[in-house]
Amino acid sequence: MNDLIIGMAGSGGDGIVSAGESLISSAAHEGYFAILTKSFGSQIRGGESSCRLRVATTSVLNPGGALDVAVVLNWEDLLRFGGELPVNEATVVIYEEKTGVAPASIPLKCRPTVVLPVPMETMAIKAAGTELAKNNVVLGLLSGWFGLAQESILAGIRKKFARKGEAVLLGNERAFAAGLDYARAHPLDPARPMDAPLSKATKKLLTDGNELCAKAALFAGCKFFGGYPITPATEIMQHLQRDIWKHGGSLLQAEDEIAGVAAAVGASFAGKKSMTATSGPGLSLKTEVLGLASVTELPLVCVNVQRGGPSTGMPTKPEQADLFAAAFSAHGDTVRPILAPISVADMFGITVEAFNIAEQYQTPVIVLSDQEIAQRKEIIDPVDTSKFTLVDRLVPTAEELVNYQRFRITPSGISPLSHPGMKGGNYLAAGIEHNESGAPTASGELHARMNDKRLHKLDPLKKRRDLFVVEGDADAPIGLISWGSVAGVALEAVRAARAEGIKVKLLIPKLVYPVAEDIYRDFFASLRQCLVVEQSHQGQLHRIIRMWVNVPDNFTAMARSGANPIWPSEVVAKIHALAATQLQPTGTP
Amino acid sequence: MSSLCDCATPPASAPLTAKDFRSTLKPIWCPGCGDYGVVTGIYRALAAIGRPPHEIAFISGIGCSSRIPGYTTAYGFNTLHGRALPIAQGIKMANPELLVLVAGGDGDGFSIGGGHVPHAIRRNPDLTYIVMDNQIYGLTKGQVSPTSARGTKTPSSVYGSMEDPVNPLLYVLAYGAGFVAQAAPADMEGMANIIEEAIRFPGFAFVNIQSPCISFGDPDNQLKLQKAKLRKLSAEGHDPTDRIRAMELAQDYGKTLYTGVFYRNPNPAPTYGSQIEALQKTLSPVADDNVSGS
Repeated sequence: MNDLIIGMAGSGGDGIVSAGESLISSAAHEGYFAILTKSFGSQIRGGESSCRLRVATTSVLNPGGALDVAVVLNWEDLLRFGGELPVNEATVVIYEEKTGVAPASIPLKCRPTVVLPVPMETMAIKAAGTELAKNNVVLGLLSGWFGLAQESILAGIRKKFARKGEAVLLGNERAFAAGLDYARAHPLDPARPMDAPLSKATKKLLTDGNELCAKAALFAGCKFFGGYPITPATEIMQHLQRDIWKHGGSLLQAEDEIAGVAAAVGASFAGKKSMTATSGPGLSLKTEVLGLASVTELPLVCVNVQRGGPSTGMPTKPEQADLFAAAFSAHGDTVRPILAPISVADMFGITVEAFNIAEQYQTPVIVLSDQEIAQRKEIIDPVDTSKFTLVDRLVPTAEELVNYQRFRITPSGISPLSHPGMKGGNYLAAGIEHNESGAPTASGELHARMNDKRLHKLDPLKKRRDLFVVEGDADAPIGLISWGSVAGVALEAVRAARAEGIKVKLLIPKLVYPVAEDIYRDFFASLRQCLVVEQSHQGQLHRIIRMWVNVPDNFTAMARSGANPIWPSEVVAKIHALAATQLQPTGTP
Repeated sequence: MSSLCDCATPPASAPLTAKDFRSTLKPIWCPGCGDYGVVTGIYRALAAIGRPPHEIAFISGIGCSSRIPGYTTAYGFNTLHGRALPIAQGIKMANPELLVLVAGGDGDGFSIGGGHVPHAIRRNPDLTYIVMDNQIYGLTKGQVSPTSARGTKTPSSVYGSMEDPVNPLLYVLAYGAGFVAQAAPADMEGMANIIEEAIRFPGFAFVNIQSPCISFGDPDNQLKLQKAKLRKLSAEGHDPTDRIRAMELAQDYGKTLYTGVFYRNPNPAPTYGSQIEALQKTLSPVADDNVSGS
């Protein structure tokens, strides 16, 4: 096997998530690629918890579909996460014998062929004197049955329990060994060993989207962060809080979302690269200030980690339903660029790009991450920072500082931007409409010219083909469009369908707004059918594209509300259905 | 006056005059508006401080009074209703060298932006917050404001306001502001001196200026009548280091027009900026990006 998906469910204290974390760090150490997604009930502590880990020898695009292995410590807990941990006939089900269910009557709709009751708790108590060591029994079982990272896991256990005293450490080592021995004594038929990693040579990075976003911001030269705690974006602020001072910057955990973004706009006015981060409810609160940044033409990066909405919605679950809010929640005629990463690894480049676009075009830029990308753990290749160039804002020359006009209407629409401290650059920035020097105006003619300047300066973005991924057959009659974390699912599905000989292609916009009409038009040219795959009830990207581009006749959406994962197999099935209609006569000669 | 604050240290070059801070924009204010006096007082205070205009960032919210940065030659930012303080704090954090002035009206500071005031105070950034308090919403033509007296009749309180006013002085004193003063344009010299002193104070300094609205304000509260009502705290023998006495006097807000310094902390707390600077110095700079796996 070169690709293995393990799902585990248990109650708080079972250590299920901790086992998942041990597995992924061991996998990273061995040189595998992997994605770990964790899911919890709404409790702060305790309650049900689960995780799914996808380990592969090559780069992993998404958390995968149905489980290859399900580890069940408690059946109710598994069933609560049913939608996130789908089991089918091919799944190897390992469960706690103590649950008292006979293998033939496990409470699942499907009938997996391999169902293994294991006395995990008994083994833990015997090895370590406490049932708390259960998760190390699980690790032993998984390592034994699937040939996973035995040495690395053991090293991880040693590191974790070293400071808890020799007795605890030995107990947990024995628990792991017990699991390993049990697996060896009860081999799977057929055996299912994981392939060795392709290369151990390169050091891998184990990280998540929020952490990588913070690192990318510092790399891009961010010197100020203003924000407010909100799930699932808080970790961006926390990572920056630890490090930004070391880069000569500063951070404000403000009294509210509005003050957070307001301070960031202030820092940008003062000449520094600056950012804020939030999630849906915070984006709603920040919109007025984002409008101020648009009209005063101040660079600003606003990361919005999407969660289920509206209102409080589902703070711990991903959704792609803030696109309308990001694009349209501003009064007046304004456009602010929206970028969306498609994976944890992509978060670095997208964040750097957001700073570059903000600085170059003197505009707020919204990054639409989502809970999945923000909080899942991913093993990625190290970031090659040498491939990025950093852009700084255009500042006035000495000549331009004589009779300086902050909002001078230039051919590009971009005017040199001074900042306090720069002699001769003194100007009035104002939310009120202004003339080229910054003086307030009520002239309709000037207002129209200034609107034109502010919108027109963003036009070059629509030509940025490097912000779009196109994959597949250029002349395919079937096309898919997908964005954000779901794009990785669509990508895997398109690759699978093409491997079966179906002609299909995929477009992934990382620049989601403004809509790059030409790029969509080119993509649509060969299409007779197009499917937009996304995680929102209305299919928000599907609808926004329609606003700007003439779409093919069969332009449909595969859209569903957040927290209901879209599996690669479902997208493949959808492509099969589209391919089947291609074969039917159209009725026209 | 001794210079307590780095940001107020005058440069060596030719002395600046009030005229150097006056912009060419013509104010939109009504003839007889108190804000004309306030901006003049600010020109004088800034001239006395001596920092050149390009080293000054003047931030305001929305309202008649918030137009004020545009009438100076400083870098101005006429922001959003109620958001001047957080924006100003971001500016000061990003560039601690700047002299940062914040101004707005009573609605801006104590209604829509009221939630920001306590937090600015507890952080203690080295900036000066001037509120032009006229007890009315002037720009929207005369609605009841957070400092309007109970019973005030306006088009939005036709039968009289049913709320007690906010007491701006007590509000900022209660949250621990290190410098709290009140001034009135009827006493230009006194007002200019208070603004200068506020700027020189190292930390958050608050000046409430009773700046009457000629068009919609209380006719009994206009500039011409202000002079007779003024009671200088210095003449009352008030010790500005006595915070409790300051709070007692502040309770007379709306009844007695005290001007002068209510409270000046004799041992100013560390400013937000000084703490940031210390932290930046303590933590060693990093060159490693920690992502390239090297």
